[in-house]
Amino acid sequence: MADIEVRMGEIVIAKSADNLIASGIGSCIVITLYDPKLKIGALAHTMLTDRRVLHLKRDALDAISSSARTWEGGDDRRHVIRDMKYVDAAIDSMIKKMVTQGANKENLEAKLVGGANMFSSLESDIGKDNILSAREKLKKEGIKIVGKSVGGNIGRLVEFSVASGIVTVKIRF
Amino acid sequence: MNKLEEINKQAALNTSEALSKLIGRPVDVEIFRAEIKKVEELSPIIGPEEIVAGVYLPITGAIRGASLLIFPRETAFAFSDLLVKREPGTTRKLTELDKSALKEVGNILSGNYLTVLSNILQVKIIEHAPSFSFDIFGAIVSQIIAKFAQEAEKALVIEIEFIFKPVAIKAYFLLLFKLEEIEAILRRGDGT
Repeated sequence: MADIEVRMGEIVIAKSADNLIASGIGSCIVITLYDPKLKIGALAHTMLTDRRVLHLKRDALDAISSSARTWEGGDDRRHVIRDMKYVDAAIDSMIKKMVTQGANKENLEAKLVGGANMFSSLESDIGKDNILSAREKLKKEGIKIVGKSVGGNIGRLVEFSVASGIVTVKIRF
Repeated sequence: MNKLEEINKQAALNTSEALSKLIGRPVDVEIFRAEIKKVEELSPIIGPEEIVAGVYLPITGAIRGASLLIFPRETAFAFSDLLVKREPGTTRKLTELDKSALKEVGNILSGNYLTVLSNILQVKIIEHAPSFSFDIFGAIVSQIIAKFAQEAEKALVIEIEFIFKPVAIKAYFLLLFKLEEIEAILRRGDGT
C-alpha cells in the first residue's frame, strides 16, 4: 500500500490498495470516481472549467502547460495522466481510463472536494465555477455524487482510500 | 547593479522607512533573492501543507496583476507580536487587529514596489484593498495560480526579510503580471 500524491493538473487511476492524496486544495476542485464492486478508483485535481479555456488562444494554452501534450504513464497498479487542469476534460479522461482498466461506468460514484474562495473579502468565482462545472458534467454522464465538501473559505487536504472508497477531508483548525 | 536589483533596493528602502514610522521603531527590509518563476511552479516555494498568512492585493491600471505577501505561520505570529507591541511569543492565534496589521504591511510593501515601477515606467498603476487568508499555503497559492494561469505565465518571487534587530522575520513576496509586462519592466529599467 502506498500514498500517491496527485498534484494540480493530474489524474491518478488506481486498482490496488493505494491511497490517493491531494493537498493544498483551495479554489481547485478534486473529483474522485469509484467503482465499489471492482475497487477501481481515480482522483483528478483540477483547476479551472473548460468554459474559461474557450477564450484563450491555443498557443497561450500551450505556453501555460509544462507540456502541451497529455502525458500518460504508470504500471499495472496505477495510471497517471498529467496536464489535466480542466474539469470537463478531466472527468472525460477519468471515465475513459477507468473503463479501460475494467471499471463499469454504471457502477461509478463521485465525490467532490474543494471549490473554495481563500480570500473571503475578495470576489472570486473560480471555485464556484469549478463546483458547478463538475456537478453539471457528472450529471450529464449519469454519475451520482455521493459525497461532497465544497465551497467556503477554507483550504482542504484529501485522502482517498482505493481499497475502501472512503474519502477523508482534512482542514486547518 | 541591474535594474531589478535597483527596483528591489529602492522599494525595500521605502518600505523600511514607512514601516519604521508605522511601528515607531527601526525596521530594515532586505531582499535576498528575486527570481522569475512560472506561475505553476509557485507551490513548492513553501511546503503546500504549511499554514501561512497571505495578504493578496489586486493591481490594475497600465499593468494588471496582483501581489501576494506570505508569512509562514510562526513568523506571522512573531511579526504580529512586533507590530502590535506584545511580548515575543505571545501571539498564538491571529486576532482581527493582527490581520489588519499584516494587511497594512502588505499594503505598504506592495505600494512601494508599485510606486517604484510606476516611476520607472511613467505609467499609472493602481493597488486595490488587501484581502487576508490564514490557511494551507497550497490552497492559497492554488487559487492565485488558477486565476493567473490564464492571464500571466510568470511571477516575480522575492524572498524578503523584515529586520527588527536582532530579530529577522522572513517572508515571500510575489508579484504577478503578464510575462510581457515583466519583460517590459526589466527592459525599460535597463534602457533596452
